[in-house]
Amino acid sequence: MSFESLLFWPVRTDLEPCAPGSRSVSVFYVLDETLVPSKMKYIPVKNVKGAVAVIREMKTRAFGQFLVVLNTFLLEIQNGPNHFKSSDQVRLMDHLKNVAHQLNNSRPTFPFAEVTGIVVGAAQKAAANGVDPRLAVTKTVHGFLAGIRARRLQRVQEIADAMKDGDSILTHCNVSGELAMAASLAAQAGKHVKFFATETRPYMQGAKLTTWELQQAKAHVTLVADNAIGSLMADRLVNKVIIGSDRSAANGDIANKIGSYQIAVLAREFGIPLIVLTQPSRGVASGAEMPIELRDADELLIFGSKKIFGTKVKGFYPGFDVVPHQLITKAIAINAGL
Amino acid sequence: MQDYKPKSIVLFQGLFCADSLKKVKLAKGLHAFVTEGRPSLEAGRKTASVLIKKGITPTMISDNMAGFLFFKGLVKEVNIACQYADQTGALCDTGALILAVLARKHKVAIKLLAAEHRHRFLGDPKYILSFEGQRIAPKGTIGYVPMVEWVGVKYFKGVSL
Repeated sequence: MSFESLLFWPVRTDLEPCAPGSRSVSVFYVLDETLVPSKMKYIPVKNVKGAVAVIREMKTRAFGQFLVVLNTFLLEIQNGPNHFKSSDQVRLMDHLKNVAHQLNNSRPTFPFAEVTGIVVGAAQKAAANGVDPRLAVTKTVHGFLAGIRARRLQRVQEIADAMKDGDSILTHCNVSGELAMAASLAAQAGKHVKFFATETRPYMQGAKLTTWELQQAKAHVTLVADNAIGSLMADRLVNKVIIGSDRSAANGDIANKIGSYQIAVLAREFGIPLIVLTQPSRGVASGAEMPIELRDADELLIFGSKKIFGTKVKGFYPGFDVVPHQLITKAIAINAGL
Repeated sequence: MQDYKPKSIVLFQGLFCADSLKKVKLAKGLHAFVTEGRPSLEAGRKTASVLIKKGITPTMISDNMAGFLFFKGLVKEVNIACQYADQTGALCDTGALILAVLARKHKVAIKLLAAEHRHRFLGDPKYILSFEGQRIAPKGTIGYVPMVEWVGVKYFKGVSL
């Protein structure tokens, strides 16, 4: 893989020196995606409170959030209260459960509980077998991180394989590096592929992140407003749609950034295949059971310090759409190793 | 949705001429939602301003949120600004086609109201590269700003101008 986007792995643990061979994490660093592309700044996170903050404030999003969740467990067993002696497993377990609870509730739409449950479960099993739970947490998290990285790289190749010479692909929001890396692989394979990116109001992930990393990958990308997707499809300027998903249901429904449902409906209307990058989950049976985060309307109504539409309006900001599986042409799934 | 009952939202999209919105009335229990209209936001601002003068408090949404409202069964009616219409369809501000497709799928009525006439089909790409005067997209980004789109007659029953 010759090109790796910074957004592919936006959490780093290597920005501070540590003992050679050490697997402990006393601080990790999260790429502040709200500043990309104008600045590449990493936010230090030293505890679960900091982790919840970077997630809630959307300093990181999508896959980056799961990296934060996993690395937080490593932080908390390293930096946790001093009374975590090996004989104090009850308090350690209580602490881990509290960490999990805080992470699970950081953003309601995301299935963090599926990940925290694995880590806490491994710790509980270790404790029941007389093994230091901290060892189990460390092994589980590092194993998961290594596995997910390999699986994501594998999926990048699958996405590249799904791109054909001459494709003009519409994408929405940002899929954390995978689309740009796939674009680079497709180009290396001699495929000429163009991209249209929706700006993805109100956070502009498409305008800021996706156009930036596709440019980094030397791909041809054109930015459009969210309301232009109908024109693009009706005028046959795009022949394929590739989007990510923030959550999947057992029946194949997905939740993804707001705007995804209308893209899916329009794609179906105009006979354009919709490809979704998914991570299979059985946590919920269908999209109807996925809680949809309602974010502060000021994130839509205020830009900088200016009230965009004056003071006498209200706003409404659902963070995600559910896309029924019937609208999805192809899911490129990742086996997250859960 | 907790705060909105089914079929309680009347959606407005596009740059209406002032006279069009003067006739709009909102029954009790209904809410006026307005799409912001990127890249200029002119449509969102003007529509909001006219509705406020009529004593209606509009709720703003971004152009990508209408689908959510339809999916949840919240939309009663869609008002779309239309520059021209005939028996084959209507020339509307960009974004109308999304609403027309959604409305047909979810069996929601569309009303076409007269738009402010504009004679540009493509907007300056630079407007999508910035938001409220601040550069958003990285340097070298290409933009594409279609200003109008054709909505075929199959998406609405009749024309009400």
